[in-house]
Amino acid sequence: MFSLSEIFTLTLIRATVRMSTPILLAALGLIVTELANITNIGVEGIMLVSAFIAVAASYWSGSWVVGILAAVVAGVLIAALMALIHLKFKADVFVAGIAINLFSLAFTRFLLKNWFGVAGSFYSPRISPIPRINLSFLQIHPVIDTLFNNYNLMDYLAIVLVFVFNFLIYKTVWGLRLRFTGVHPAAVETGGISVTTKKLQALLISGVLGGLAGAHLSLGYTTQFIENMTNGRGFIGVAAMYFGGVAPITTWLASLFFGFTEGVGARLQTMGFPSQFILMMPYVATVFAITFSMIRQQKKLTQKQPF
Amino acid sequence: MEPLVKLSGIIKQFPNVVALKEVDFSLREGEVHSLVGENGAGKSTLMNVLYGVIQPDRGDIFIRGEKQHFHSARDAMNLGIGMVHQEFMLAPTMTVLENIILGFEPTKRSVLDYDLAYEQITELSREYGLAVRPESKIMDNSVGEAQRVEILKALYRGAEVLILDEPTAVLTPQETDELFRVIASLKQHGKTVIFISHKLQEVMEISDRITVMRDGKVQGTLDVADATKEKLAVLMVGREVFLNIKAASTKAGPVVLDVRGISARGRRKLSELTDVSFQVRAGEILGIAGVDGNGQSELVEALTGLGRVDQGEILISGTPITNLSPGQIRKKRVAHIPEDRNTSGLCKEMTIGENLIAITLDQPPLSKHGVIRSREVNELAAKLVKEYDIRPANHRIRTANLSGGNKQKVIVAREVSEDADLLIAAHPTRGVDIGSIEFIRSILLAQREQGKAILLVSADLEEIMSLSDRIAVMYEGKIMGIVPAAEANERVLGLMMAGATYDEATQGKGDEVIEA
Ligand SMILES: Nc1ncnc2c1ncn2[C@@H]1O[C@H](COP(=O)(O)OP(=O)(O)O)[C@@H](O)[C@H]1O
Ligand SMILES: [Mg+2]
Repeated sequence: MFSLSEIFTLTLIRATVRMSTPILLAALGLIVTELANITNIGVEGIMLVSAFIAVAASYWSGSWVVGILAAVVAGVLIAALMALIHLKFKADVFVAGIAINLFSLAFTRFLLKNWFGVAGSFYSPRISPIPRINLSFLQIHPVIDTLFNNYNLMDYLAIVLVFVFNFLIYKTVWGLRLRFTGVHPAAVETGGISVTTKKLQALLISGVLGGLAGAHLSLGYTTQFIENMTNGRGFIGVAAMYFGGVAPITTWLASLFFGFTEGVGARLQTMGFPSQFILMMPYVATVFAITFSMIRQQKKLTQKQPF
Repeated sequence: MEPLVKLSGIIKQFPNVVALKEVDFSLREGEVHSLVGENGAGKSTLMNVLYGVIQPDRGDIFIRGEKQHFHSARDAMNLGIGMVHQEFMLAPTMTVLENIILGFEPTKRSVLDYDLAYEQITELSREYGLAVRPESKIMDNSVGEAQRVEILKALYRGAEVLILDEPTAVLTPQETDELFRVIASLKQHGKTVIFISHKLQEVMEISDRITVMRDGKVQGTLDVADATKEKLAVLMVGREVFLNIKAASTKAGPVVLDVRGISARGRRKLSELTDVSFQVRAGEILGIAGVDGNGQSELVEALTGLGRVDQGEILISGTPITNLSPGQIRKKRVAHIPEDRNTSGLCKEMTIGENLIAITLDQPPLSKHGVIRSREVNELAAKLVKEYDIRPANHRIRTANLSGGNKQKVIVAREVSEDADLLIAAHPTRGVDIGSIEFIRSILLAQREQGKAILLVSADLEEIMSLSDRIAVMYEGKIMGIVPAAEANERVLGLMMAGATYDEATQGKGDEVIEA
């Protein structure tokens, strides 16, 4: 058998952080929409299209900055489409989300063929990746250096965003109104605030974050586009958001948990464990996490019903 | 003097009713002006027009003589009009403070200034005697507290005119007294109050002027000095009414319902049933009084098989029925008028006739070998529609299109015609017009005369007192005591509804219990 110390090394911690980033970025966007009472499962599709657009833009411009910006624009556009479907034409968000996800899968496959003439995946040395960041002040000790230094820019950015959103949601007028939008829209309206505007804002922000998550998958985590490369990470983001109780900091911890299961999986696989079993782990964890958070939510509901 | 508010010729049509038919209404600065009328008279609609959330089809709004067009509540708020709705506009998972400041948040360098908000709220709360706990969540507040939060919210938004839509409907008599002190203090501070109610006693107590509405029209505005309860009732209903119709109590017969120490889980902590025991005899009405949400719903669910009982025993004429299914319990000759006619009393998509026969459908003569016999069905339905004066008198109409009172009569007709030994009536007249109230109450009394056992659950103390032979008061899932109707009065029942035992309530110790 394998010794535990072989599995649990410092590099596993690094893998955990790296793998948690796309989940975390998606989950942050999902928190914002969920607070406005929209469970935006369309984030999976937003990520996939953004990942493709990021690669294409980076390939043609030779600049990862352009790649990220293009991905964000793509994310916002799709989110705006969802807003149109849900807020204007009043379609169910879930149905809109499923439609977006199916559309994205086919759309990226089509563009891959049409723009690059390939099927399955696209790689080129001309794609400019998002750089890693070397923070020299962390080199004081090899353990600290291994644990905290030389991550991708997006890994750091995601963590900064956790605190940015924590601040926005709990300390600003914008955040207070957003939190009310989900739980009592009528109170928001009588307070003279438009619920539709709040929901639109939330959806567009989730588009930005989904765009960042997609760009990270194809320009940071790897440097290529693969068909269906999101591979359920948007859905795992939904799980992380619920597991984290729809709050940024705890959702960060939840994302790390999912990143960890992926990391352990990858490690076990290199040791010759059956790969199908390993690849299943994050999804099994998702099922448990969702079940757990739903039970908790049910309990809350039954314990505390106002008047 | 120019009126502070003048509404003139207001017309508002909803898809299937004209809710306001050329209504005029005027408000003097600094007065307490009551708006009375039966359910559906158009009171809430009229006030929503003044508050900017409903746009009238026609008519003008003048504030201090100037014509205004309100596009949203915000516009009305900017002119100092605030409203506390019948259904509170408060988010249960958020704090009192957050609910109050929503939309008008103070900030310091674009960050929410919670400290300043806290100060402002405590200041207002002291000024008007509105005790609240700013940092508690709404869901941990009582109904009375939540109502104070709503009033504070309106004041925080700068209201000079406060519209209170049926504020006393959800309060105990003591909480009502406290609300009246708050209204007095608002008046003292120069605020103008519009008080909506259909309890005439209250209205006489606190108003300067009273406007009566019926059927979308104003019937008249009276100075309180010129008003009497009788005059108001006639204006409200259009004829004389007799609501206190109880005949002398007949001799109660054998025990029909015997509840022995039952406990059951509740929707929330306060409504968990703990060791509830009582009996209902043939030929008597036992009233269950209490503020909504103190376990009444759970009790009815336990008795009818809709909810599980964890402990204790329920017997019908000596046979245990604990935790049987609703169908099995009905077979033990138990009928049930559910508390919510729209979700559990009726199938709104089906006709009056179909709803009337829903329970006896599987028995002859209505069906044979599983096949419905339409002639018998139609005959029975037509007979019940006539007997119970259900309007429109056509049993082929979908119940969704009926008024509240007629929906309720369909349910009453179905349940009473079952001829059961025990009738459980949960809020049988809630939200229905006075005519139907009168009718339904007379049916309940007639059932009692016929020797049925009746359990009457109601949050309306007046109803409980005018129908019951004995009154059990529920508080936090327990029975605080059972009082013979002859010894019951509003004060004693009110104290018990707030947690006093019968002895405490009668020996005047109750007030201390409530303070504690
Ligand atoms: N939003 C609405 N849509 C359709 N009908 C309504 C609406 N609001 C009220 N009504 C109808 O208008 C009438 C007046 O209702 P309302 O103003 O609530 O009466 P009140 O407050 O006096 O009980 C009723 O017949 C009611 O069914
Ligand atoms: Mg009303």
